[in-house]
Amino acid sequence: MDRFLRWTGTAIVLFIAAPLLIVVPMSFSTSASLQFPPPGYWLGYYAQYFTDPVWLWPTANSLIIATATTILTMALVVPATFALVRHKFWGKSAANLMMMMPMAVPHIVMAVGYYSYFGALGLVHSHLGVILAHTCLSVPITFLVLSANLKGFDTTLERAARSLGASQRQTFWHVTLPILRPGLLISALFAFIQSFDETVVAIFISGRGAETLPRRMFDSIRQEADPVIAVISTLLFGAVFLGLIAPHAWRFTRRLIKKDSQ
Amino acid sequence: MTDYLQLSGVGKTFGNFTALDEIDLNIKKGEFVTFLGPSGSGKTTTLMIIAGFEAATRGTITIEGQSLAGLAPQERNIGIVFQNYALFPHKTAIENVYFPLQMRGVKKAEGLRKADEMLALVGLDGFAHRFPKELSGGQQQRVALARALVFEPDLLLLDEPLGALDKNLREQMQIEIKRIQKRLGVTTIFVTHDQSEAMSMSDRVVVFSNGKIEQAAPPLDIYHRPASRFVADFIGESNLLEATITGPGQADCHTLGQVQFLPDPAKTLGIGQAVTLLIRPEHFKLSCAEKPDRMNATIIIDTIVNYGDNALVIGHKDTTQIRMRVPGADVVILKEGDPCHICWTDDAIFVLDR
Ligand SMILES: Nc1ncnc2c1ncn2[C@@H]1O[C@H](COP(=O)(O)OP(=O)(O)O)[C@@H](O)[C@H]1O
Ligand SMILES: [Mg+2]
Repeated sequence: MDRFLRWTGTAIVLFIAAPLLIVVPMSFSTSASLQFPPPGYWLGYYAQYFTDPVWLWPTANSLIIATATTILTMALVVPATFALVRHKFWGKSAANLMMMMPMAVPHIVMAVGYYSYFGALGLVHSHLGVILAHTCLSVPITFLVLSANLKGFDTTLERAARSLGASQRQTFWHVTLPILRPGLLISALFAFIQSFDETVVAIFISGRGAETLPRRMFDSIRQEADPVIAVISTLLFGAVFLGLIAPHAWRFTRRLIKKDSQ
Repeated sequence: MTDYLQLSGVGKTFGNFTALDEIDLNIKKGEFVTFLGPSGSGKTTTLMIIAGFEAATRGTITIEGQSLAGLAPQERNIGIVFQNYALFPHKTAIENVYFPLQMRGVKKAEGLRKADEMLALVGLDGFAHRFPKELSGGQQQRVALARALVFEPDLLLLDEPLGALDKNLREQMQIEIKRIQKRLGVTTIFVTHDQSEAMSMSDRVVVFSNGKIEQAAPPLDIYHRPASRFVADFIGESNLLEATITGPGQADCHTLGQVQFLPDPAKTLGIGQAVTLLIRPEHFKLSCAEKPDRMNATIIIDTIVNYGDNALVIGHKDTTQIRMRVPGADVVILKEGDPCHICWTDDAIFVLDR
């Protein structure tokens, strides 16, 4: 039984990790298209990715759109979450439902909707259009993460701050915000990733003017299956991996520094 | 001394539920007052109204004659220690204590020096740079106390601050809080539902029940001269016996027969009036024979709980339960199921007329 479980576990991990095991070697491949196993190894496609405007423009677009989406999403969701978690008002459950809607509606449906709606508004093929659409798609996950954080926040801390002489504004800056900071950062990160990763809506409305990286990758794989796609995938994986270990590494070094100074 | 903090006619309703019903209370400068009462009796609500977190539905509160109405919590200069301490988790002990000074615009160097002194006063030197989660419950409690005192508040409010501590630590903190309060002379309201805590710490105990003040008096008065049946029952152990007044200093007790008591000149009792007699368990004495100079009765012993130095004897007469506390050495002659003579004097009986 024990052995069976161990083998199943290994199989599942392998199955999940398989794309990585294939993609990373392919990014160093000399082959002209995606091919596994690679006939030889070089760094040429990395060089191409970092120099070719065909790839650099979509990367810049994606970064701009994801950053703007994150800012806009946070500006909307932070106040909304405070209102929905902390206050009672008429129409609250309807508002709650609206926040979660974009998660329930299939992206393809949203995409078609944006295509015709933004078309009428002249927003198709523009950064602004993609930013607005991505913001809408980022709201539910950001709201979920943030409201879980806010529900766990002990409001006695705010009362304590007030009793100690802090105004409402000072209480927010000195107590509420610093304590919620990890939750805010994580929800912002989710908004960023949601936008950076989004493909369906981007294919429908980003057009030539605001072409995002996933859209470019999708076009490329349909046409020439350029190994640069493997390069980008590897880089993204590397970024996520760093993002995951960074907090641990940071904590570890801080502990070392603290030990040194003692 | 004149009254420092005055609550007059303070009431609070939540919807159509009355949480506080016309509270009147005067507290003197430097006084240590405890609010004692069962859960839900309105103690926290009263504190929160004083602190400015809840608005009273009616009534006024003044400190040195100045009304608190219209002052936000941060403008009231009141220190609060919350039950869960409410220390800021992202700040170290000393940063927590410095916070109220920071909010008052005190320079950092001076503020940190003051915070450090206050931490020393509560016995926490050496822990200044620890975060709250690196401190024990008792230490967190001390930081919370230091933080609530460092800005020299006009009033210190503590809402069941010792509830989460174990018994030993609790007693230690009771002594500690009392010492610091005396040293600084700060007017203090301490909320608890633990009567021994209230008895041992306070200058005056305020007993709450159902949003009303039942009695506000020094601890010994509360114990020996309770204002109502509720207070007599809530504080300490008690025998509460129904009786009818038959004359000045005389009553017909339904359980113990004719009894004499010392009449209280402040109380007017009419003949035939129904009253409750309070006799504390330690005021019953065992007697081998009937003593002519004392009142006597015979009870049947049901249970003996021996604590070593003293014992609780629970018996009954007719259908009424009688509890008494006797010295541990006396209990060896008693057996469960046996009859037993008990006696008492007229000053053991306290008459309750409500
Ligand atoms: N915000 C509120 N809304 C409705 N009822 C409340 C609220 N706060 C307190 N109460 C009620 O008021 C009563 C007194 O509460 P509280 O002052 O907290 O009692 P205590 O501190 O003596 O245990 C309780 O019955 C409680 O349920
Ligand atoms: Mg309470």
